[in-house]
Amino acid sequence: MGTNTTITDTDRDRDSDTDSDLTNDICDLSPIPTLIVSPDYRIQRASKGVVDAWHRRRDDFLGKDLFAALYGGSPLERFDRIPLARAIEVAIAARNFRLCHAAYTADGVSYSARIIPIFRRDELLSLMLEWDPVEPKTPETRGEVIQHALSVDEVFRLLIQTVKDYAIFLLDTRGYVATWNAGAELLKGYTKEDIIGRHFSTFYGQEDLSAGKPEDELITCLREGRVQDEGWRYRKDGSRFWANVTITAIYRNGVHVGFGKVTRDLTERREGELRLIAAYEESAKLKNDFLANMSHEIRTPMHGMLSACALLLDTNLTEDQHDMANIISESGQVLLQVINGILDYSKLASGNFSVNTDLVGVANIISSVVRNVQMTLLPGVYIKLVLAPELPKSAQGDPLRFRQIFQNIIDNAVKFTEKGSVQVAASISAEDATSYTILTEVTDSGIGVAEDAVQNLFKPFTQLEKPTKKRYQGTGLGLSIAKSLAELLGGEMGYKPNLERNGSIFWFTVKLKKIANLDQLDAAGVQQQEKEKSQQEAEKEKMLKRLKEMAPQKRILAAEDNLVNQKVLSRVLNSLGFQHVTIASNGAEAVSILSASPNTYDLVLMDISMPVMDGFEATRKIRTYGNPIPIIAMTAYALRGDSETCLEKGMDDYISKPVNINKLLQKLLTWLDSPEWSKSVTNGPS
Amino acid sequence: MALPDDKELESILGDGVDLTTFKQILEMDEPGDNEFSTSIVFGFFEQAEETFERMDVALDEKDLEKLSELGHFLKGSSATLGLIKVRDGCEKIQRYGKQENLDGSPEPDADVCLARVKEALMAVKSDYEEVEIGLKKFYDKDDEDEDGA
Repeated sequence: MGTNTTITDTDRDRDSDTDSDLTNDICDLSPIPTLIVSPDYRIQRASKGVVDAWHRRRDDFLGKDLFAALYGGSPLERFDRIPLARAIEVAIAARNFRLCHAAYTADGVSYSARIIPIFRRDELLSLMLEWDPVEPKTPETRGEVIQHALSVDEVFRLLIQTVKDYAIFLLDTRGYVATWNAGAELLKGYTKEDIIGRHFSTFYGQEDLSAGKPEDELITCLREGRVQDEGWRYRKDGSRFWANVTITAIYRNGVHVGFGKVTRDLTERREGELRLIAAYEESAKLKNDFLANMSHEIRTPMHGMLSACALLLDTNLTEDQHDMANIISESGQVLLQVINGILDYSKLASGNFSVNTDLVGVANIISSVVRNVQMTLLPGVYIKLVLAPELPKSAQGDPLRFRQIFQNIIDNAVKFTEKGSVQVAASISAEDATSYTILTEVTDSGIGVAEDAVQNLFKPFTQLEKPTKKRYQGTGLGLSIAKSLAELLGGEMGYKPNLERNGSIFWFTVKLKKIANLDQLDAAGVQQQEKEKSQQEAEKEKMLKRLKEMAPQKRILAAEDNLVNQKVLSRVLNSLGFQHVTIASNGAEAVSILSASPNTYDLVLMDISMPVMDGFEATRKIRTYGNPIPIIAMTAYALRGDSETCLEKGMDDYISKPVNINKLLQKLLTWLDSPEWSKSVTNGPS
Repeated sequence: MALPDDKELESILGDGVDLTTFKQILEMDEPGDNEFSTSIVFGFFEQAEETFERMDVALDEKDLEKLSELGHFLKGSSATLGLIKVRDGCEKIQRYGKQENLDGSPEPDADVCLARVKEALMAVKSDYEEVEIGLKKFYDKDDEDEDGA
């Protein structure tokens, strides 16, 4: 039955019953499954084809609702009907036939419907649905049928185009934008026309660009197949958003054809994080302020109470009363210590701590504290004092703070030592024209510090002893206060295990100013010379001080094969204040350390001639991985050509061997002294 | 201990030691002991003796490349300690081992090079012995000082 004969509109059709019967018969007898449906979707006729091909009875259809007859009983009936219902609507609206693909399935065969609306003038008389099998297929391959019909590429393109929350786009092999979806348009503000053909580095900020981040990402992506990153990206209008980016390398038949890039806007999450941090800082400040105020307020009545208690103890008391007054007094003393600790801590934390300048007699202070502490030693514990003879009799500094630091670490040593000894040693660890650095070391044979607890030693409100034991009292503030004080006095504090006797060694340094002695400067010439010398010294000292201030935060990797030189180099670096120095004994080791943790180190010192892999080759490898870390070559004295070669080979600087401390100091300052650092120094103690 | 003055040092150590460099090592000691510098210097003795033995073996095997490598190796540590004569001797061995003359020009005759290495090795060993005696004397004397104090 052809379509061009179906839409008939002649008087003859209307008047002739015979013709109508014939038409009905033709329809009924058609071998093609055919349904005649009224405008209200009642099935009026069903052809022989329906019965034969679908193996269903006519009664299943006649007089029934079209959709109920076709899809009735299917659990997903309400979805099944959607395409056919829509196609019928469209056909009616267009007054022309429409196809509906795979609208019905019988015995595993899909049938497409050709929907023919039949009009007389403007009145819809009937719908004729003819069904053709799509292609005989087994149910297993049905998925393919749909895929063939839809074309996979087309589908994915459509899917990606419509994603609005993610920017999804393709880059060619060199990073030029090749596709652009709706999400990208929304997120980045560029329209498709703006951006296709431009380079993806357009989205990065200046800082990332000069750090070479976009190219690094492509390189890493090619090496690892995929790369993920978070950072600021910039929209067309210049505003920025915090992006999470995943780049995937795309290969077709083993050939790299480009990159897929998915970007998510995490600005809200990032802002949330920043707000949290700000809130945390604010609350920490409030806590410190509160602690400072409270401790101060509590101290005054506390002193009153303790004084009264002392007076009370001098009066005539019965034995019981005396005992109780003693308990009040002792508990009050402990409470006062706690309060003082909290007050110091909150002052240090808020930076409101003042350092006085007065005369300090190191030996006197240490001996006096040791004498006091002797009273509190547990039976069987003895104390040993070693004072270096060259300790200055007097120098300028803050004697009270010095005493406080020392008192704190020796109190700890005594508290935690139940047998054996506590040894105190004081010496000059460094000296220049204007100052001494005094090193005080307290070694005990006490309980020691568990390896995993060392990192928490100097954190405020931490007591390492497990709380269940409760053997030792205190706020856990002592060490953190002492460390901050030592730093205020221009020194440091640290811990190392006492390997010999299974206890702890706590040490601290402070810087004391020399007292100028005018008698020594008799002749004017000498004076001038001394002045120049001391200016030079002062300059050197200034550099040393700067380096020492930043050194503890910096990590150095040194590649050197000779054991003797390794030891000397580590010692030199330690003496300059570096605490994190890793030694690699050849170039290959250095490369593998750096590639395992590329962001751990701040600088590399690289010997040139080493076994396995020399310094040049190692540098080349490090640079190939895109690591921009400063590399200073250490070149042997005799091979003069080396110096120039070093710079050619990708190193940043060189220093001749044997390494001179002052030279090394200069070079390290040049390469480690970053602008951020000098900013932070202005906030430091003066 | 306080650092001895240059004259005193020179009289003990002889002219095979560059005082500026060696004093830099001494300055790394903690005040009051020479533990660090002693460990370095005596570590170097061990290293030197071991290296000389390996040089002897390499000389027997006529392995010029190995000799050059060993020369370079010991040059590094001797330079660090300021042992200039040993350092210069090691550099000669390094050069000859690379089949070079002292000015860096190539010397194609391997036998000539081996003979020169042999000569240089003898010289460097005696330079080493001299400086070893000096350094041992220096550290012994130091112990006496401390005992006396």
